[in-house]
Amino acid sequence: MTSLPLADLLGLSAALLGIGLFGILTRRNFILLLIAVEISMNAAILNFVIFSAFLSGDAGVNGQAAAVVLVGLAATEVAVGLAIVLALNRQRGSINVAEASSLKL
Amino acid sequence: MTVSFDGVFAVAYLVPLFPAIAFVVVGLFGTRLRRLEWGGWVAVFFSGLAMVLSLVIALGEGLNPGKFTDQTYTWLSLPHSGTGAFPGGFSLVMGTLVDPISALMLVVVNVVGFLVMLYSIGYMHHDKGLPRYYAELSLFLTAMNGLVLSDNLLEFFLFWELVGVCSYFLIGFYYEKPSAASAAKEAFLVTRIGDVLFLLGIFIYFAVYATAGAAPGWAASGFLFTSNGHPFLGTLVGTNTPLLTVAGLMMLAGAAGKSAQFPLHVWLPDAMEGPTTVSALIHAATMVAAGVYLLAVTSLFLGFTPADQLAIVAIGGFTTLFAATMALVHRDIKRVIAYSTISQLGYMVLAVGAGFTMVGLFHLWTHAFFKALLFLAAGSVIHAVGTQDLFRMGGLGRKMRLTTIAFAVGGLSLAGIPPFAGFWSKDDVLGSVLSQTASHPLYWPFFLCALITVFLTAYYIFRAFFLAFSGAAPRDASLPEAHEPPWVMRLPLVVLSGLAIVAGLLVFIPGFPNLLPGANVPPTYGTADLFLSGLSTALGVGGIGVAYSLWGNGRVFALPESSPFQPVRRLWLRLYFMKDAYDWIGLRGVYTIARAADFVDRYVIDGTIHGVERTFAELSRRLRKIQTGVVSDYAAYVVAGLAAFLLLLIFVAPWFLHAWGV
Repeated sequence: MTSLPLADLLGLSAALLGIGLFGILTRRNFILLLIAVEISMNAAILNFVIFSAFLSGDAGVNGQAAAVVLVGLAATEVAVGLAIVLALNRQRGSINVAEASSLKL
Repeated sequence: MTVSFDGVFAVAYLVPLFPAIAFVVVGLFGTRLRRLEWGGWVAVFFSGLAMVLSLVIALGEGLNPGKFTDQTYTWLSLPHSGTGAFPGGFSLVMGTLVDPISALMLVVVNVVGFLVMLYSIGYMHHDKGLPRYYAELSLFLTAMNGLVLSDNLLEFFLFWELVGVCSYFLIGFYYEKPSAASAAKEAFLVTRIGDVLFLLGIFIYFAVYATAGAAPGWAASGFLFTSNGHPFLGTLVGTNTPLLTVAGLMMLAGAAGKSAQFPLHVWLPDAMEGPTTVSALIHAATMVAAGVYLLAVTSLFLGFTPADQLAIVAIGGFTTLFAATMALVHRDIKRVIAYSTISQLGYMVLAVGAGFTMVGLFHLWTHAFFKALLFLAAGSVIHAVGTQDLFRMGGLGRKMRLTTIAFAVGGLSLAGIPPFAGFWSKDDVLGSVLSQTASHPLYWPFFLCALITVFLTAYYIFRAFFLAFSGAAPRDASLPEAHEPPWVMRLPLVVLSGLAIVAGLLVFIPGFPNLLPGANVPPTYGTADLFLSGLSTALGVGGIGVAYSLWGNGRVFALPESSPFQPVRRLWLRLYFMKDAYDWIGLRGVYTIARAADFVDRYVIDGTIHGVERTFAELSRRLRKIQTGVVSDYAAYVVAGLAAFLLLLIFVAPWFLHAWGV
């Protein structure tokens, strides 16, 4: 099996992170924001997986384990995030994050 | 006689205590009495007790000439330590020193004080502030009695300040009047200049005498007046050091402030804003006497250097003439008498400066009676006609016979006409100063000032007399019908008239000139230098004659507009522009400094503080804007921070690592 070079794989991960960050900075819709957060998080998870494939022994297994934990963490984060979206929608009738600024000083 | 007065001398502290009781009683409960006069009678009663006791003390001193009784109560004591500034230990004491001069002063203070209090019952009867008036008057007497009986300089200074504050209260008695309030402040501030210098003088004396070593054991027993029970310190330490000259000048400054000598005299005429009775008290017995008394005790107990003496003679002699000229032209009856007081105080200072302490005090003694008499007579006039303007009065002699006689007696005494009291003392002053001119030629101009003043004095006081009392009717017809005052006001006038006639006979009491051992007693007492006596009497009579020819029988002398003396007259009316000069100094000098200080305070000190505060306020105002509350913005900051961190990591960190050789 010929494997792709590490730099290309990391480039993919960096691209995912960039897409996610772009989404975080530009989207005003809370759900799209959550999706963007998920994308950038997946970039991090992908990093773990990539490095675990290139390392051998315990270190490789550790990366995969971390990836599994992070997937679970991402799921809980989305659950909390969607709960906030629902609460926001119920209270304000809108899920535009630019309008939800009442916690500022 | 062998009557022992020791018991009386031992309770001399009761003299200041009696008015103090009146002060507390009237001050606390005066307004609750059913009638306000009752508080006045309480004060009169206690000042009467003080008067009786001081008369007994004076009698005791008269029968035991030169005796002194020093009662001390230790106030603060440093133990004997063998090292430090006071190896023999040191104590501050309060005490009463009864000696001939304090006995003399007690009589002056309490007799005049009592009569003024009695007179005030009538003079102030309409006033709502009567309890306040009597409380302050009683405190005034307490302070003055305490000062007279002080047995050391520190205690003297305490009572001295108390006298000052009482005068402030009483001059500003009509505090609703802005002029009275400002006169009170002026009196307080001007005398304060003298007070500060006086305190410096005390420090110098303390430093010199406490460390001179020539009086071993002195430091342990008192503060400058008493030494091992002996009150006359002057002989203990040589007095010929420059430092003592400076200290003497400080004492002179203190006395000049309190006794209204040039150039600190400006407050006294303005002090006329107080009730006339207060003027009588201040001018005769209390406030201004304190300054002369200070010079007297300093010259007796500490001694002045020849340079000091010349300065004192100069100030005193100049002030006599200086103040007398201003008295010539004023039309306010109280101001005329006020300038006369400054002038007469000049005589006392002159005599003390020339070394004749007893003569100065003798003039203080006679002056107290005839000046109180003049003020109370003037008060009686003001009480009757409601104005102080001499040009509106006139013809009062027909309506107020007793007051007229009283004012005439006071005037004759002031003018130095024999046999009135003022003649004896003024003649003593002139004679004693003249006797020193042979050895001190520099005294000559000041002796001549004093001699010319005799003429001026007679003129101005009789100008006031003729303006007020002679003629057929008041020049201002709108004045109310004059009437004699009630008996409480007439009685003091009668008593003081009697005293103004006979008080001068004190010189004939055998041994009076020798009451003080060590005091410089004049060789002649009034009668010996007949030429000088005749000359001063002639000057006095001449002054009265000129006054009569210009103002007598209701005439009013108006100086022609073309007269070459008009500028002089204006100069005198404007008080030699000294008040203007002081105002100018205050405005240009002090106010400029105050403005500079204000600028520094406002813009440098406050500016620094406010600048720091404003900088941070502005910074935080701007920084606060990044808190938008929008999640995306925060995310952007996070990303920006992350980017910055990465940039640091990639570009800057390697450079450091390289530089450190890692």
